[in-house]
Amino acid sequence: MLLEVKDLTIEFHDHDRPERVVENVSFSLDRGGILGIVGESGSGKSMTALAIAGLLPRKKLKKSGEILFDGVDLLTLERAKLREYQGDEISVIFQEPMTALNPTMTIGKQVEESLRIHRGLSREERKKQALIWLDKVEMDDPERVYEAYPHELSGGMRQRVMIAAAMVSGPELLIADEPTTALDVTVQAQIIDLLLKINEKEKVSILFISHDLSLIRQISHRVLVMQNGRIVEEGAVEQIFDDPKEDYTKQLLAAIPKVIL
Amino acid sequence: MKYYLKKIVSMLLTLLVVSFLVFAAFEIIPGDPALAKLGAEATEVRLAQMREQMGLNRPFLVRYGSWVLDCLKGNFGNSYSYNQSVRSMIADKIPITITMTIMATILTIGISIPAGVSTAKHAGSRYDKGSYVVNQFVMAIPSFFLGILMTFVFGLILHWFTPGGYISYKKDFRGFLGYMILPSVAIAIPKCAMSIKLLRSAILTEADKDYVRTAYSRGNSTTQVLYGHVLKNALIPLVTFWGMAVADMVAGSIVVEQVFNIPGLGRILLTSISNRDYPVVEAIILLVAVVVIVMNLLVDFLYRKIDHRIDREE
Repeated sequence: MLLEVKDLTIEFHDHDRPERVVENVSFSLDRGGILGIVGESGSGKSMTALAIAGLLPRKKLKKSGEILFDGVDLLTLERAKLREYQGDEISVIFQEPMTALNPTMTIGKQVEESLRIHRGLSREERKKQALIWLDKVEMDDPERVYEAYPHELSGGMRQRVMIAAAMVSGPELLIADEPTTALDVTVQAQIIDLLLKINEKEKVSILFISHDLSLIRQISHRVLVMQNGRIVEEGAVEQIFDDPKEDYTKQLLAAIPKVIL
Repeated sequence: MKYYLKKIVSMLLTLLVVSFLVFAAFEIIPGDPALAKLGAEATEVRLAQMREQMGLNRPFLVRYGSWVLDCLKGNFGNSYSYNQSVRSMIADKIPITITMTIMATILTIGISIPAGVSTAKHAGSRYDKGSYVVNQFVMAIPSFFLGILMTFVFGLILHWFTPGGYISYKKDFRGFLGYMILPSVAIAIPKCAMSIKLLRSAILTEADKDYVRTAYSRGNSTTQVLYGHVLKNALIPLVTFWGMAVADMVAGSIVVEQVFNIPGLGRILLTSISNRDYPVVEAIILLVAVVVIVMNLLVDFLYRKIDHRIDREE
């Protein structure tokens, strides 16, 4: 078991009344597995992901439960220790590739950043690794991309760069928070294919978060359905899609537009 | 490249306009340089001779034209009051003003970057609120008054230096630098306060952006995120301010020199204005205009260095 979340509860205290965004969420993720978390906006799926990545806001927030990663509780770990996991063991790719990259830094610097932070590699060695990963995410001309700035790349290319930057340090867990939502459909499919390939070759576990059921179906081994901060249903992908037990899951499935040929 | 060519052409045009305005201004302002040179007791005949000798009775445009051409050759004419070329009068004062401006710029940037980052980092804390009050206060004090205060405190009370003392850079450069420190600080402090305020708010704006979260997700500490990622983006508005500040400091040094009794460009400018020594005044104004214009070009260049998106927008 790579990741085990137990009774995770997150409450925001930035308004008069505390707001519970995640409530008693428990689940686990096997090594090499792909877990899809699906739910509408406000279901708490992204908050759960941010909690695992250690990226929750530090103030005006109450959290309880456990996030066991390789047996270590990340939720209560002090920040300096947590940072050793971030970008090394656990990497994240975000929804908006347009804004998730630093506009004033070259692609190369951003791709190799986690190597610079976590490994004592020389500049040449870092560059070599970055180029290998730019190639693995199927970028044409990695050398040129390495020197380029984010604005010179398309949205799909930027998301590939994000994936390369996330994978370069060889993490155990890749958290993908709505990674294709901002992209058009053909690019979406390419990114999903790429993530599946990476999962298979690199044996990285993936936590895939999306509101899009058809994407979840394409990529996940297991699926978690969330609503209003709680888990509604959990199961293998076939079971969720072919034999849903809960009414909410059935409603979600019924809402997928059917293509009539 | 084409962009810079365009920039340089517009720069030269600006300079031409400035030179014309300066020259025309002294044409309009009442006062007769010949009279100023000879004194009130001069006879009409002697005055007419002097005007002839100084070339004052040629038509305005002819005088302007020959002045501009001379300036282009690096010849700014002769001083009316002293039998000396303007060039030789100004040349050995320029290093003083430049040294002061450079020191003040280094101080401004060197202090405001760490201070701006740390106030932004601790935004909302007591330290942040305290520094806000100090900042507002300091920003409101003009440099010359700071100069007077510092002369009083460091010179008269603490005896760290001799008020009114000065060592020429030609004699002892290190001693000269010592005398430059306080004036530079006086010029730098108000600019520093403004830079800190600007940088703090620029950093806080940047800190909400998505790339900051990405940077944290790779294991950067807050300090690493601020210096490694946020600072460069936050510097874009600061570069503009610093460009203007440097130009302003050149002008500001003229006043501060008076306070510290430093024989720089400021003193010459003031004496020349009261003596109606137009060639000197014109040359110094042109010099300040050149500094302003060059700073603008430098700012533009730095912009492009920091943010590569700007190039593409053209």
